[in-house]
Formats: sequence, C-alpha cells, structure tokens
Amino acid sequence: MNQTTPAVEIKNLVKDFKTSFRNQTLRAVDDVSIRIMPGEVYGLIGPNGSGKSTTMKALLGLVVPTSGQCAIFGMDSLKVDSRNDVGFLPENPYFYKHLSGAETLRFYGKLCGLKGKVLEARVSELLALVDLEGARDRRLGGYSKGMLQRIGLAQALVQEPRLVILDEPTAGVDPVGSRQIRDLILKLKERGITVFLCSHLLEQVQEVCDQVGIVFRGKMVKEGRLDDLIAIEDQTEIVLKDASPELIAQITALVANSAGTTLLHTGKPRTTLERLFLRETTPTDPS
Amino acid sequence: MSDMIAISSPKGSHLSRIWVIALHAFTQLVRMKVFYFLAVFAVIAIASNFFDLPQHEGPESVGVNVLRSIKSWSLGTMTLFSMVLSIVATALLLPKDVEDRTLYTILAKPVPRFDYLAGKLLGVILLVFVSLALMDVLMTAVLHIRTSIVLEQQLAMAQAQSWPQDAIQSLRQETALHGPSWSLQGAVFAVFLRASIMASLSLLISTFSTSTLFTTIVSFMVYFIGHFQADARDAYLQAGHAGEGMIGRILSLLMSLVLPDFQNFNVIDAVIEGQTMPMLILAKMTLVGLYYAVFYTIASWYVFAEKEF
Repeated sequence: MNQTTPAVEIKNLVKDFKTSFRNQTLRAVDDVSIRIMPGEVYGLIGPNGSGKSTTMKALLGLVVPTSGQCAIFGMDSLKVDSRNDVGFLPENPYFYKHLSGAETLRFYGKLCGLKGKVLEARVSELLALVDLEGARDRRLGGYSKGMLQRIGLAQALVQEPRLVILDEPTAGVDPVGSRQIRDLILKLKERGITVFLCSHLLEQVQEVCDQVGIVFRGKMVKEGRLDDLIAIEDQTEIVLKDASPELIAQITALVANSAGTTLLHTGKPRTTLERLFLRETTPTDPS
Repeated sequence: MSDMIAISSPKGSHLSRIWVIALHAFTQLVRMKVFYFLAVFAVIAIASNFFDLPQHEGPESVGVNVLRSIKSWSLGTMTLFSMVLSIVATALLLPKDVEDRTLYTILAKPVPRFDYLAGKLLGVILLVFVSLALMDVLMTAVLHIRTSIVLEQQLAMAQAQSWPQDAIQSLRQETALHGPSWSLQGAVFAVFLRASIMASLSLLISTFSTSTLFTTIVSFMVYFIGHFQADARDAYLQAGHAGEGMIGRILSLLMSLVLPDFQNFNVIDAVIEGQTMPMLILAKMTLVGLYYAVFYTIASWYVFAEKEF
C-alpha cells in the first residue's frame, strides 16, 4: 500500500437516525470529514452525544452512512476486507465472561485467520504487551475494569492491524489503569500504528495525539495539528531550574526595560493532580 | 440490499470462521451449565420404568406397556429439553452480544455477518445434538435392560403355559419391536430436526426482536402453530371456504412455506407404539427440516445484514 494513502479517509459523512417519537429524523453526524495519515495519532473530542461514536461505527461498517464515504487504507469501510487492517475497542466492552484472557485472544485471533503456533505466540506476546500474563488463565468475569480495557486493547491488536480505533479507552478506569492504557497508545505510536482515538478526557488526548478534531452537535468545529491549535502565538514560556531570586529580579528588570513586552506571570509550575496521584499511589522500591 | 452484506475475501475461510464462532457459542452455553438438565432426564428415564399403567391386553403383553412408557417419557422429555434449549439459547445469544457490545468487536474483525449468524446457529444446533445424543444413549441403555427383563418374563410365562416354539418366537419378535431399534433412533433424529428448525426460526425472530422474552414467546407460539397448521389448512380447504378459489390455495401453500409444518413429525408417536419408521418418511422429514432451516437462516441474514448497531 502506498504510504500516501490515508489510513482513514472520511468524506462528508452524514448520518441520520429515525427517532421512535413520531419517526422524526435526528442528525447524529453532519458533514464530517477526517483524514488521518499512516502513523498518526488522531484524537476526536467532543461532549457526549456529539457524534464521535457514530463516526467510528460508520468507519467500521456498523452503521451505513446516510451520505458520504468512509475508507480504511483506501478500501470502502462497508466491505469486510477493510477490517483486515483495523482493530477496534468499543466503549465499555464486556467481552465473554466465560473465557479466560488467553482464550479471548485465541477466539479473536482465529476469527482473523490465525492458527497454530503463530496464534499461540501472538497471544503470549499480546498478554505481555498489556501486562496480563499473570491473568492469562483467569476468566474475564474476575477481571477489573482496567484489565478488561487492556484485554480489549489486546484483542484489537490480535491480527497486527495498521489502524487501531479506540472509543473512550479509559472510560471508568482509575488513574493508574488510565496511565497504562496511555502508555500502550504511545507504544503503538512508536511501532508506527495509526491510532484513531475518541475521548472526552482532554488532558490524555493532549498527551498522545498529533492531530485533533473537535466535534459539536454532529459537526466538526475545529481540526488540525495539536501543537498548532493549542500554541498561544503571542506568548513565550521560559522554565528555569534552581534560579536564584537575583536572577529572577534581573530578568524581570530586563523585561520591564524592553518596549512592547509585558511580563504576565512568574511563579512555580504546578504538577497535575494526576501526576501527584500517581506519585503517591505507585509503590516505591524499598532498596 | 446495501454493500454492507457484500462478502469479499477476508483472511481465513468462511467455514473456519463459522466453526470458530459455533464452537465458541457451544462453549458459552456449556459453561452456563445447561447440561445439568441431563440429571433431570436420567431421573425421568429411570422413573418411567415404574409408570406401569394398568393393562387390558392378555398376559403375553406383560411389560410392553413399561417399554412404551420409557420411550414415551424419554422422547417427550427430549422434545421438551431440545425445544427449550434451541429456542431460549438462540433467543439469548444475539441480544446478549449486542448488549455487551461484544458484537461490535466481532463485526469489527474481518467477519462477514452471515458467518456470525451461521456460527451462532451451528453452536446451538451442536449443543442440541450433543444433548440429544447423551439422552439417546441413556434411553437406549434403560430400554435395552428393561427389554431383556420383559423378554425373560415373557419366556417364563410362555414356558409355564407350554406355548409352542413358533408362538414364543413370534412373541419375542413382537416385544423386540418395542425395544431399542433403528426406528427409535429415527424418532430421536426427528426430535433433533424439529429443534433445529425452531433454532433457526428463533434466530430469524431475534434478528428483529428487541428482547429475548419476545423471541421466546413468539417462537413457542409458532411451534404450536406448526403442529396444527396442516390440520387447520385441510379443514379450511375442505370446508369449501377457499377450496374452489385459487387464492385460498395459494395462501395456504404460502403459509406452509413460511411457517413450519410439523405434520410429518407425528411419526414419533407411531414409533412409540412400536411401529417401524419408513425410510421415505425419514428422508421427507430431513428434506423438510433442511428446507426450513436454510430458509430461516437466509431470511435472518437478509434482516441482519441491514441492521445497524
């Protein structure tokens, strides 16, 4: 496949649903276009009910667009073939509680045509990747929410897809579990896997995504490179370590003497509440 | 029909994927502990030995009623269990996958929707087959032991009454007809076919139904309709309401094509009475069973292929 072929190409997607009340039409997605190049991590953000999940379902062929097209690596996403190269983790999945972690991955692997030693090797590799080797033979009924999300991510990766679609991958997961999933997404990025992520946890999106799209009431209201979107063009940030009060005074005086420049703020940068939580709850090595 | 149902060539064959889903559905149902009902069946099969009804025939038929009772209770229980299993299990599997969103993860893989449906149906049919096979083994064993006892009793009675050898031989042959036979296996196969038809019908209903309860109730209603629709059709046509009109005949034919007609399956009662099942009836039942199962599965696919999640 040509590297210039987009991993995801959604063109003017419109999706209408009939409501049960008087058979009225509800427009869930309104003329949304998204283009994600191979290796990128794209975050689709927006409030609940803004059409994020419907956009993803249309991309996976789970709903048929009212108008517009969706393609995965150039293949029409309504064709089964397009799913050879995609892995999907839906929001709050339950999976089959009667299966163990390894059996779950085997099941999904077999659906993708894997078998024998190749399948077994893949199952072990994925369990190691999502840090569930210790729970490989435990039934999913006994898994925590974070473990379920990680086994869900592993099943999404079972056939080594080039595109992974994650719908609210950290919904309901505690900060430690959330961090693990975020680290996994970064690992996927390192491997060159394209990630299409949908979340309303903005800080997380900011940490992992290259591109961001904001949808509101079914419409794409803002889209572009994350760095471009969040940079404040007329401001500059300097962060110093172990700066003496004298140095700070000198810098402040220098700025005051410079025409057209205003010092907006000095002080100590703050850690995030999440970082603080992780620092306090992560066990430290006694040695 | 939209492109959504277009089956191209994802990795792996259709058959292997259907088999993977079927085995998974089978395992899922087994782990729901459905085989516990076999203990109930064992109790019924053994208890039916003691349901010795008062007999009005001559002394030569002593014990035959018990053999009939064993077959009647066993086949009745097999029908009940296989029907409940096929309808409830099928009605449960699809809505559960949708509710738990596991369906999304499966259809997001290169799995055509037909493979998913056929796999689920095959899993239920496999479960019904294994259940019936186990019950059949138990019934045949109980019947075999009891037939030997009855034959011994009859031999003792005949010898005490100084029956001629050819009369004894004739009695033995007649009693043996009530014991384990190929016709009895044919009757069990008929129970299996009927359950398979109902499983595929439940699959069709569950593709557009919104609840497991609705699918179960409608399926059981259709099951009962299937038993008297042939009689109702005959009575309707012979009563002259529509017998003369072409439309009436076409409508009744359409009804029998769409709703299952279990008239041919009444042969099970004849087998309980010790009659032999003709091969022609067996072949006819198999064809009828295949027709309905394939028809309902294709109809399910048609509905499911257009469904949005």
